[in-house]
Amino acid sequence: MKKYNTPLIDQLEKGPWPSFVTEMKKAGKNNEMSNDAVGHLEKCYTTKMGYWKHGGIVGVLGYGGGIIGRYSELGEEFPGVAHFHTVRLNQPSGFFYTSKALREICDIWDKYGSGLTNMHGSTGDIVLLGTKTDALETIFAEYSSRGWDLGGSGSDLRTPSCCVGPGRCEWSNYDTLDLVYNLTQEFQDELHRPMFSYKFKIKAAGCACDCVASIARSDFSIIGTWKGDILIDQKEVQNYAKKGMNIMSEIVSMCPTQCMSYDGKELKIDNAECSRCMHCISKMTKALKPSGERGATICMGSKAPIVVGSLLSWVIIPFIKLEPPYTELKELLRKIWDWWDDNGKPRERIGEVIEVKGMRSFLEAIGVPPLPQQIKEPRKDPFMFYTEGDIAAYKAKEAEEKKTGKYRF
Amino acid sequence: METAELQDKIFAFCEAAKGKKKLKEKDIIKGVSAEQNVPPDDVKKAMRAMIDVGRLMYSYGGGASSVEIPSEEYLREKGLIK
Amino acid sequence: MALPQRRTDIGPPHYRQFMPPVIDKNYGKWKYHEVLTPGTMVHVAESGDKLWTVRVASPRILSTATIREICDVAEKFCGGHLRFTTRNNVEFLVSDEKNLEPIKKDLAARGFKMGGIGYGITNVVHTQGWVHCHSAATDASGIVKSMMDELFEYFESKRLPNKLRLAVACCVNMCGAVHCSDIAIVAVHTKVPVVDDEKFKNMCELPTVIGSCPTRAISPDPAKKSVKINPDKCMYCGNCFTVCPPISIKNPERDGVAIVVGGKINSLRSNPKFSKLVIPYISNEPPRWPKVVAAVKHIVEVYASHARKHERLGEWIERIGWERFFALTGIEFTFQSIDDFTFMRDTMRTASTFKW
Repeated sequence: MKKYNTPLIDQLEKGPWPSFVTEMKKAGKNNEMSNDAVGHLEKCYTTKMGYWKHGGIVGVLGYGGGIIGRYSELGEEFPGVAHFHTVRLNQPSGFFYTSKALREICDIWDKYGSGLTNMHGSTGDIVLLGTKTDALETIFAEYSSRGWDLGGSGSDLRTPSCCVGPGRCEWSNYDTLDLVYNLTQEFQDELHRPMFSYKFKIKAAGCACDCVASIARSDFSIIGTWKGDILIDQKEVQNYAKKGMNIMSEIVSMCPTQCMSYDGKELKIDNAECSRCMHCISKMTKALKPSGERGATICMGSKAPIVVGSLLSWVIIPFIKLEPPYTELKELLRKIWDWWDDNGKPRERIGEVIEVKGMRSFLEAIGVPPLPQQIKEPRKDPFMFYTEGDIAAYKAKEAEEKKTGKYRF
Repeated sequence: METAELQDKIFAFCEAAKGKKKLKEKDIIKGVSAEQNVPPDDVKKAMRAMIDVGRLMYSYGGGASSVEIPSEEYLREKGLIK
Repeated sequence: MALPQRRTDIGPPHYRQFMPPVIDKNYGKWKYHEVLTPGTMVHVAESGDKLWTVRVASPRILSTATIREICDVAEKFCGGHLRFTTRNNVEFLVSDEKNLEPIKKDLAARGFKMGGIGYGITNVVHTQGWVHCHSAATDASGIVKSMMDELFEYFESKRLPNKLRLAVACCVNMCGAVHCSDIAIVAVHTKVPVVDDEKFKNMCELPTVIGSCPTRAISPDPAKKSVKINPDKCMYCGNCFTVCPPISIKNPERDGVAIVVGGKINSLRSNPKFSKLVIPYISNEPPRWPKVVAAVKHIVEVYASHARKHERLGEWIERIGWERFFALTGIEFTFQSIDDFTFMRDTMRTASTFKW
């Protein structure tokens, strides 16, 4: 095997933080592809540019997602990375593994790929970095026969992902792990066969802490919340105070809705005014917990800056109950995709299409009424559409008022 | 329309677009459905069957996925031709 | 050897089979948790059962050799059970308290770094960079490594007013959640791309390329059967390159990074926020990007010494005002921080109430 001199990236093996260069070299010890990836990276560091090419006709028969084609422009100099495709394996909900499962993944990957991975990629998949075109069908047969399927890529439903949820968190308002597993199974076709205008990401967070960054990184953000009161264990509140927490400055005055008060003995919450931000609960988890009806807020549209600026997801449905078999949610997703399909241009994310076509058109199509919870503030310009139906409804209301002698605004 | 005949129409539709326009699944389903007066779901089913055996294939380029007629290279890699 | 029979559309394995018995038993019935050290926490169930978590850093790029070593540790102390976090850390799930100190000792002896829980800096969300991406304008992994070496104490021991989330994106496609991080580094191009007219003819669709430009800088060039790019309008986003590789935008001497700050994704106290541009350009300086690292460390330190307890970086800045942030950090305010893309009307100040 060729030995590369790598003075630049060697400098990234020093220091306390674990080194990715060390990982690449470890993989390169017995693997020609990774060995060449090391030399290839040194070249990038020398010239200050990348050499990867993207795309093409790589995939497994029948699927359009899950494999990402990658080739080097320097294939002659570094033959081991001439083809260096990515395989995305669909991760288990919550990234839970047994060592047995991980060893199985590693054994197959060592046999047919570079021995390099990302645990995990940005969307959540197990990312297997670097293999050749002629190994793809074999890799897929090996993994799928053992229960591992490919994740999404291209213009399809991307692999849904979620926070740790009820697996190890006291704050989850619904079963994020089960929901994501269930949706992934339901929408296997959408995940493996690109049928959309562009990518579509679903992320499920159990509460407003949003450990999976759903509000910023998914077209369809599912954020757990509740409708009841926050239950208070006053004894535990006192314990926090005794241990040095300043309840007034750290909790009460940091509450965004100012719905809390504390007299040194008793903590009170005006629950009707609470906006469920999770600050107090996350700081005093032993003393405070939500109660009552549980479910989630559905927000939509977030994405990175390309093309016309980044978006955070918008509130679409303030509250939805999430219990198996999640029929309402699945029907909602299908309605959303139908509308997107009819209205989206190629490479338009759903948030961008909603902006172009107007929120009203979208909400009407999916059967959601206008609600003040959806907005930060009402429009500030006087340019608006009135349908004939709108005006007829307003006129009818006025006629009714004339009859009853009572205004309804 | 018989599936085999519909598949030939789908193939012809893709062939006509070759080198001109990258077709998405949706373009084929809508296009062939309108052209042949066949329900979209039938077109989708027929097209999927073609993809499953390598008569058509998914491709990716220009930041989006598309459906194309496979190259010889692809068919050879999949062991569909010698 | 014959290949096993492939199966399609089976989806991921069910998560429940990978969970340790204590989770299986207390699933959805957790009562509270306590952070014991920056590298360990304990979750307590309503039943009284406890689960200890030991978190270690990962460079995200892992060799199978290292994954097997992680498996060795999990088998020795956790019945083989572990998980990864959404920010790429490894978490060992310890069901028996008597294994807690031994696993920590074992991990330390193997050189694993424990930390990342609570009010400090945890692992960095980042993209592939030169290691594996076609559109990278820098190497994300190299910047992360250099930065975390310098900020390591905030991972392992030293605390901050609140957690501080770092991210690195190797181009403006931002495959990581860079746009909502406390401090994020985003690689930028700074020069108008060059069109290879010959290749354009064969590889690109004209309307798609023209439509890809957010600033309408691209127009047809019929004589060459190609396109031309208006340098007065181009903002170097690289979207045209994505749809048409013969439009080349990479430029080793001009590509660099920008720094954005003040974003967050949770709703605690204040709503999720985008990160905002404070440093428009620093040259790519592999292998260790010293100026980028110094800038990030400086911002962290100014935040650490000025913010109130529980204030995230962005919340602190909103309280004191951006003009004060620039004064306290000594960062030069430039034209690039004033939006001239699509958000100017939302980001200009419309009152005379500011600080000197």
